[in-house]
Amino acid sequence: MKEKTNRLGTFYLSLFFVILYLPVLSVILYSFNASSSTAQWTGWTLDWYRQLFSDRVIAQSFRVSIVVAVLTSLLSAVLGTFTAVVSQWVTARMKTAIQGMMILPLIVPEVALGVSLLFFFNALGLPFGTLTLVLSHSLFCVPYVYIMVRLRLQEIDKSIIESALDLGASTLQMVRTIILPLVAPSILTAALLCLAMSLDDVIISTYMSGPRSTTLPVHIFSMMRVGVTPKVNALCTLILMGTFFIIGLSQLVTKNRRFAK
Amino acid sequence: MRTLKRNLLAVPILVWIGLLVGVPMIFVVVLSFLSRDNLGNIIYQFTLDNYRRVVDPIYLRVFWNSLLLALLTALITLVVGYPVAYITANLSPTRRALSLGLIMLPFWISSLLRTYGWMILLGNAGLINNVLMALKLIDKPLPMMYKFGTSLVGTAYMLMPFMIVAVFNSVDKLDRSLLEASYDLGASRWKTFFQITIPLTLPGIAGGFTLVFIPALGLYFVSDLLGGGNTVFLGNLIHTMATRGRNRPLAAAFSLGMIALALLVLSLYWKVSKDKTGEGLFQ
Amino acid sequence: MKMRKTVLLIVAVLILAVPAGVAANGEVNLMTWGGDFIPREVIEEFEKETGIRVNYKEVTSNEDMQSLLEANPDQYDLAVVTDYMVDILRQNGMLAVLDKSQMPNYANINPVYLGNYYDPTSEYSIPYAISISLLLVNHEEVEKLGADPITTYSDLWQEELRKKVVVVDWSVEIMGIVLKSLGYEYNETDPAKVAEAREKLFALKPNIVRFETNTPEDSLINGEAVAGFMYSNQAVKGNAADPKLQPVFPTEGMPIFIDSWVMSKEAPNKDGAYQFLDFIMRPETAARIADLTKFTTPNKGAEPLLPDYYRDNPMLNLADEVVENTSFYIGVERVLEEYEHIYVEFKLR
Repeated sequence: MKEKTNRLGTFYLSLFFVILYLPVLSVILYSFNASSSTAQWTGWTLDWYRQLFSDRVIAQSFRVSIVVAVLTSLLSAVLGTFTAVVSQWVTARMKTAIQGMMILPLIVPEVALGVSLLFFFNALGLPFGTLTLVLSHSLFCVPYVYIMVRLRLQEIDKSIIESALDLGASTLQMVRTIILPLVAPSILTAALLCLAMSLDDVIISTYMSGPRSTTLPVHIFSMMRVGVTPKVNALCTLILMGTFFIIGLSQLVTKNRRFAK
Repeated sequence: MRTLKRNLLAVPILVWIGLLVGVPMIFVVVLSFLSRDNLGNIIYQFTLDNYRRVVDPIYLRVFWNSLLLALLTALITLVVGYPVAYITANLSPTRRALSLGLIMLPFWISSLLRTYGWMILLGNAGLINNVLMALKLIDKPLPMMYKFGTSLVGTAYMLMPFMIVAVFNSVDKLDRSLLEASYDLGASRWKTFFQITIPLTLPGIAGGFTLVFIPALGLYFVSDLLGGGNTVFLGNLIHTMATRGRNRPLAAAFSLGMIALALLVLSLYWKVSKDKTGEGLFQ
Repeated sequence: MKMRKTVLLIVAVLILAVPAGVAANGEVNLMTWGGDFIPREVIEEFEKETGIRVNYKEVTSNEDMQSLLEANPDQYDLAVVTDYMVDILRQNGMLAVLDKSQMPNYANINPVYLGNYYDPTSEYSIPYAISISLLLVNHEEVEKLGADPITTYSDLWQEELRKKVVVVDWSVEIMGIVLKSLGYEYNETDPAKVAEAREKLFALKPNIVRFETNTPEDSLINGEAVAGFMYSNQAVKGNAADPKLQPVFPTEGMPIFIDSWVMSKEAPNKDGAYQFLDFIMRPETAARIADLTKFTTPNKGAEPLLPDYYRDNPMLNLADEVVENTSFYIGVERVLEEYEHIYVEFKLR
């Protein structure tokens, strides 16, 4: 009985991954397309990869994007977790205020947020670049971390916390030894989501980047007028391969470690 | 005294978000009551015209369109994503990490490219039609592009991980002993699933719904490309008005309309999920 | 503990990884659409020759450029914007008057493209890339559908073309087609004429398979459409991909767009900016840009240097009678709100 459901589960999961990766595979496939348009297939080529390596702009915008994405997810992980943990202790009214505030950045349309932040940061005299990008990206990333961490915190038995505090543990100790290990998986998955969102944001990034800091998605979208070339597909293929490689490597390492034990 | 001290901890967060979102929000609210000149420059003259435009019957249909798209997107991601999250949470730790990794990975690729990827698949001369025709299953291409359904599939695809991750976080911390107890009492797997598992993971579903529904209301280029621009959604409308439409005050009024719609739906939803579980995501 | 150190290390590396990049002879900050709208090789050649570093801020629309320029006029030297945006920026006092004496190559610019409504005295802008909108038609397929040959906008209304037409996605342009087909001018404000156009517009809906601003030619290449209303640079690409796709210059008239260089009033490096403008107006550079971008060049000096395919292509080497039959979308602001409303209603049908 259990065996059967497991097999059904594996089948469903596999099917899901096939569909999830189909569009990705066509992105990869068309990085080898001789034609620069996705409308036709005119034969195989490696030209786009060759062009990719001689393109300083795409490399630079990719670097800006990665820097911003990593800093954003780190900042968001810290702020989001902090908010979620704190919201466990505050008064009910404060909690409502926090929750309202956390939903706000998600609801405001990006154009509105982007344009207003442009004026706001300008009034503050902030230099447009990595700083403004990270600040604005973490704005829409913190709520994700907050929600994910909250989901896990809700189930923590309040009595554990109370008794830990009664036993003389300081709040900080309690957070470190009980809460953080418990919510770590949530923080991690949320941080990965933040990374993906930051790597994909166009509208806010357009307004938040300075003359020297185009991010990769802005670069890609700005190409639409003259045509998005498969060079971008080639870059994405390489990013994907790189990530696969790292994942594979880490799997291998954990496996080896287990055997070593 | 102690509660006051605890409340103080939350102040920096409120100030931070309050500044970065609150100030733009005030800006948007003020803007929505202002007028603009012919060049699109804002002039400081109070008007309610923008709101009169928003409640125009034609534009109200755009709201309805977007609401429909967002609700259906949330539903699809839930139906498709819940089992994925559930199965993943029940895998061994290594496989679970792998599965989560595989779920997130596609989202590292620009969403524009993935949308093009869907067009490559679904087009009349696309991969799917070619395969089906080569297999002689169909003799002329199935038209799959530029429909409401195509926008829906694309939007659901883009937002899938948010639902999965939210549900995963909820399923993962499920108290398995409750499920065991249910089996011991003779309940079938399905009965246990619907009567124990689902109610216990409602907060996760509510979280996922929130994180999918809101962006689905505002996404714009996915429906432009996959839907062929054959209909109008709020995201497109606001984006056009804020840029080429040269009417930022009107875009601001529409933004507030969208925010109001989102809050309305979400508060209804949270209320229901709270009533069901006693503690929703947002009590 | 170890975790914390790792995180700190990552942050430190990332911060250091951001290039500081100070060039010997200063830098020029320009802003416009990305991709090869201003070809990289041209920029790199300029950098090599002058030692001036060029920072190329890529954006997706004219309005983005306006917002960025108005927020930080002292951070950008140059921008390429479309005609109407020159008008807006000029009237908003964002632009510097260009000193032609600093740019000997300005003499190469074809006077035909100067002195237009957006800059009547040609003091603020220099034409860079010219495009028109036209029809791209697969005559063979049109015939197969049993429709009459397409030579005018009005032919797009034929019943046989059901779900076979692709058009760019912008209210003013689509209303423009309808108005022209009725024999009126762009951006008509007369309520009776607008009402007439509205009805005719609605009748076009069944024939449109897709609204697409960036790659409408793809729909003709892959066969889902047999006729399309698009910009000339897109039609050139479509025609290159499939020679069966032929341009049709509708007899009712066509819109023209002139993407133009403008200089920020508070440009931090005006000298460098002039050097750059002069560089790209050199005949050989302008010819290369035209070849790479597939826009019509306003550079008269470049014409003898253009490759054969370019000179033989009627969409690139625009005939005089074609140019005479084009007009700008003037007075968009008067009609925008109403056209947008009609357009949304049209799409929801």
